[in-house]
Amino acid sequence: MYLTVTQTVAMDCYDVVRQLWDYLDGELTDESMAAIREHLAQCKQCYPQFDFERTFLEALAATRLEHPAPNMVRRKVLAKLRKAGLEV
Amino acid sequence: MTGTISSAEPDRVATRRFEVEALPWLDDVYRFALSMTRDESDADDVVQETFLRAYRSWHTFEPGSECRKWLFTICRNVFLRLRERERRRVDYGGEDAQLEALASAQESTGTTAEHADILSRLDLGPALERAIGELPEVFRSAVVLVDVEGLAYNEAASVLGVPVGTIRSRLFRGRRLLQESLVTYARDAGLATPAPCEV
Repeated sequence: MYLTVTQTVAMDCYDVVRQLWDYLDGELTDESMAAIREHLAQCKQCYPQFDFERTFLEALAATRLEHPAPNMVRRKVLAKLRKAGLEV
Repeated sequence: MTGTISSAEPDRVATRRFEVEALPWLDDVYRFALSMTRDESDADDVVQETFLRAYRSWHTFEPGSECRKWLFTICRNVFLRLRERERRRVDYGGEDAQLEALASAQESTGTTAEHADILSRLDLGPALERAIGELPEVFRSAVVLVDVEGLAYNEAASVLGVPVGTIRSRLFRGRRLLQESLVTYARDAGLATPAPCEV
């Protein structure tokens, strides 16, 4: 599928899928971000792939909540810092 | 004078800044340390040493810059030195080449529909935790820094001391390996159809 998404930028499905993670990570130029966004809004072939990768990355980001530092580690860090002169 | 924070800044002010700017990142540093060591006791040691070094070199921290990234960089260095001290040296160049070749060989293509179906059936949190723990370290660090801790590519590159292109490569291959792991996990759990045998 080949879509003309702006007057100056056109992307085919291959280009879009190849750059999906850069897109989801916000690591592309504004022009490329806009071109992919517009392509995804129109392309029924690419959107499921985008949706899958987005779900996957959201699940990865959610693992961040699983590991707060144990209180014992916190106490040890503070004890070490106090010994080094920090007044906490 | 405490003698530990050496700058023109009065000790009390510097100490207060350390408390306010550095200490709140303890959970983040612990997660990053644990992702590298994969051992709670080692992570404990790495975190303690990280904050001690950070405190002692607080005068080198540039006010207004990203404190978490600065702490991650120290944490990474502490981890590497700990590993070196334990004579578990890894040849990064050779390992990178081998692992990236492995990851390339394992990159999935055209399996989105199957993967999406599996993602919808799995309890993703525990499955991902397990899969991240099994990633080779070079990929795990990139995935944890960018995908879990939310650093930009250039920030992760700075922490790991590699070019941005290397981060992108490790990240993308790490993600593919994770997706493959999830599929295998789902198959083992009977949530997906086994891959057909190639004859």
